Amino acid sequence: MSNTMAGPTHWDGFEHPAGRVAVGVAGGAGGWRGSLLHIHIAEAASFEMEELAEARCVAGRGIEGDRYFLGTGTYSPKPDVREVTLIEQEALDALARNDPPLQGGPIQLTPELHRRNLTVRGVPLNHLVGRRFQVGEVILRGGRLNFPCKYLEELLGLPVYLPLYNRSGLNCSIERGGIIRPGDAVLPLDA
Amino acid sequence: MTARIIQKLRVAAVAESTPEVRVYTLEHPRKPLLPDWSAGAHVDLRLPDGRMRQYSLCGEPGPQPRWQIAVKRETVGRGGSAWVHDSLAPGTEVQVSAPRNNFPLAAGAVRHVLVGGGIGVTPLLAMARSLAAQGADFTFHLCARSAALAPLLAELRVVCGERLATWFGDEGRRFDAALIGAPEAGVHLYACGPHRLIEAVRAAAAERGWAEAQQHYEVFQPTLDENFKPEPFELRIASTGEVLLVPADRSALDVLRERGFALPSSCELGVCGSCVCGYRDGIVIHRDSVLPVSARQDRMTLCVSRARVSVTVEL
Ligand code: FES
Repeated sequence: MSNTMAGPTHWDGFEHPAGRVAVGVAGGAGGWRGSLLHIHIAEAASFEMEELAEARCVAGRGIEGDRYFLGTGTYSPKPDVREVTLIEQEALDALARNDPPLQGGPIQLTPELHRRNLTVRGVPLNHLVGRRFQVGEVILRGGRLNFPCKYLEELLGLPVYLPLYNRSGLNCSIERGGIIRPGDAVLPLDA
Repeated sequence: MTARIIQKLRVAAVAESTPEVRVYTLEHPRKPLLPDWSAGAHVDLRLPDGRMRQYSLCGEPGPQPRWQIAVKRETVGRGGSAWVHDSLAPGTEVQVSAPRNNFPLAAGAVRHVLVGGGIGVTPLLAMARSLAAQGADFTFHLCARSAALAPLLAELRVVCGERLATWFGDEGRRFDAALIGAPEAGVHLYACGPHRLIEAVRAAAAERGWAEAQQHYEVFQPTLDENFKPEPFELRIASTGEVLLVPADRSALDVLRERGFALPSSCELGVCGSCVCGYRDGIVIHRDSVLPVSARQDRMTLCVSRARVSVTVEL
């Protein structure tokens, strides 16, 4: 693909307009404990995602080997929060049972297809904009809600746009880097 | 615009079909099946410098564990085929897009006439496989300089049997485009091959009154029109009203990208359809060979097509 821009401009999660506002607003969910199920990266836009048994997260850059770390993703020239993207396994489960029934039938959006880096279970992602949380030894900052794009729908040939609305996951920056592995605990901080 | 997943596939086998053509068998290093495809589809192979080359799949259509592409070494090409021949060997990895079909079999046809020249037989072989499996009525005209230089000849003989008519120059048999006959209802014509052959088939079809919708062509080489003089024009962005100037020596695609639009493309020659975009309010000078006539009123390829004075693009 030749649709790559010069290089990634990452915003810290709390610098993004959404994250900045959310930081100053009370709320969010505490007392939960989730886990990391899968790690996926793609080396460039449109490339098939690859599952990793272990990944290095680098603060200010992203996951080693991923398109946004390498600057080979597809995105607009505006700075954004995209060092790490997460999605809830529960959202994928809902799609698989066609709930709510927004499309013709169940959609099996497997973790290697959805193009988010981390698939997590038991983590209330929509509550984490403007919040810090931990994935294993790594600390992430919730910057903005992810939203589905038509590009994904086209790439997969699956009508995922509407059913992913409002549960498309969370875009984060990395506050403290480190190594993560599937099975790592995901925990709220400062909650 | 269509985005397609790119996978790293492994070359499972390389076979010589003619002295100039090799058949590459590709498989996924971890997955048992490759994406589904239908006859007439092509994939993009990504060269090390990021350029893409289109190759039709010529194996058995459907979800399959392996794909086959036939690649002719072009002596005066743009370097893609030479790279394939020189670099791909069993075990090598290559980046390949999911299939796209700009050349599908017509649904509900009662009979099919296939005309293939040289390496242009590749998508038609896949079509013949589908048609033979369905027990459909079809004829395959194969044109080549000689039997020895006809790619995929052995496969075509097996798949087509009696339905294959060979036209080999060295035997003094030359294909006469008049053989396509009169345009009966439900008969569809498909041609792929050198420019000369396609033009002859087009002319014969026009002369006999074939409807546009009954004719299907695929050309994997840009139409070079030396007399075309590109002029500057204005591009208006439908969503914002912003106006960009496209100078005579640049493409709409380039100008849009420079302005920050992340747009897909692949061949940048007007043959693959990756960069197709909707438009309105303007006269577009279509210079691609991928859009069917029926799509040209409101769709354009941003890589090669231009406009007279100005056009509004649906971006
Ligand atoms: S990029 Fe292939 S038609 Fe424009």
